[in-house]
Amino acid sequence: MRLVFVIALLAVGVAVSTSGAVGILRMPDVYLRIQCSSKPVTLGALPVLVALVIAKGPVSSYGGRALIVAVLLLVMNPLATHALARAAYSVGIPMWSGAVVDQAAARAAGPTAAPHPGGGQPADREG
Amino acid sequence: MTLAIGVACLAEVVIGALLLIRVGLGPTVCDRIVALNTLSTQITLAVLLFAAFADRATYLDVSIWLASFSYLATIVWSRYLERGLL
Amino acid sequence: MFWAIDYACLALVVAAAVLVIRLRNLNGSVMALSAMGTVLALLFVVLGAPDDAHAQIVVGSIAVPTLYLIAIAKIRTEVVNEPELGEQGDTDAAADADAGRAGSGGDR
Repeated sequence: MRLVFVIALLAVGVAVSTSGAVGILRMPDVYLRIQCSSKPVTLGALPVLVALVIAKGPVSSYGGRALIVAVLLLVMNPLATHALARAAYSVGIPMWSGAVVDQAAARAAGPTAAPHPGGGQPADREG
Repeated sequence: MTLAIGVACLAEVVIGALLLIRVGLGPTVCDRIVALNTLSTQITLAVLLFAAFADRATYLDVSIWLASFSYLATIVWSRYLERGLL
Repeated sequence: MFWAIDYACLALVVAAAVLVIRLRNLNGSVMALSAMGTVLALLFVVLGAPDDAHAQIVVGSIAVPTLYLIAIAKIRTEVVNEPELGEQGDTDAAADADAGRAGSGGDR
């Protein structure tokens, strides 16, 4: 029974990690590759850690180390990905030609170009 | 169960080969940093799985070092790309 | 099973090392060096030397590429990253030259 759980979780984790790697290899743009780097890799790492804990028992050195690695992964991976995406945008790496929306450029252009639904209204400023 | 863990470790290394193609092929530096970040995550998982495969708890510390320091390197290099030298 | 993981790690290390000396972009070459250090740490763990793997992660995978990046940024010459004589028909070299021109805008 434990073997079935371990093999199923390992298969799910390796399959999701493979999809993330193929996405990094095939996507046409830096930002799409960053998106493939953050979500499928985190989602593929967690089932592998859970499978390791199930295989070796939660009260062992494997369980504690797997917990530390999971916490580091969940905290540091979005941080690093966000810093990398902001650096790529500020350096000025062009987007894919099929990209439809650029919210940061719209916000930098001013409120008249792209009205934000929650932003300040002109009537409020006059009154 | 040991065989399944070893096969999973080997699969993570093969995923690392896919990412190494992107490290060599990526047109900009940011592509290479993205592939490198994912590669270090996969190597972390491979070290964990190999520790369970070889049944040596000593190998587990390597994965913690790798998980913490690789993200530090990614953040430092992206700051370097964003605002220049230091 | 040990030998399969061993040979896979060896193949990855050799591929990354070939990549380091074949890439025309200096920053990309440094990234390939960091990838080689990371995979070499896994190879050290497979060969049964976790202490060497600790040193390899901190020094070979992070500190040395960071020092190389700082040294490349300190050199303030304009490097023209054109393909050389023997690489006229090589599309990868042309793509790397484009990447070098695009990446040098952010290097300052």
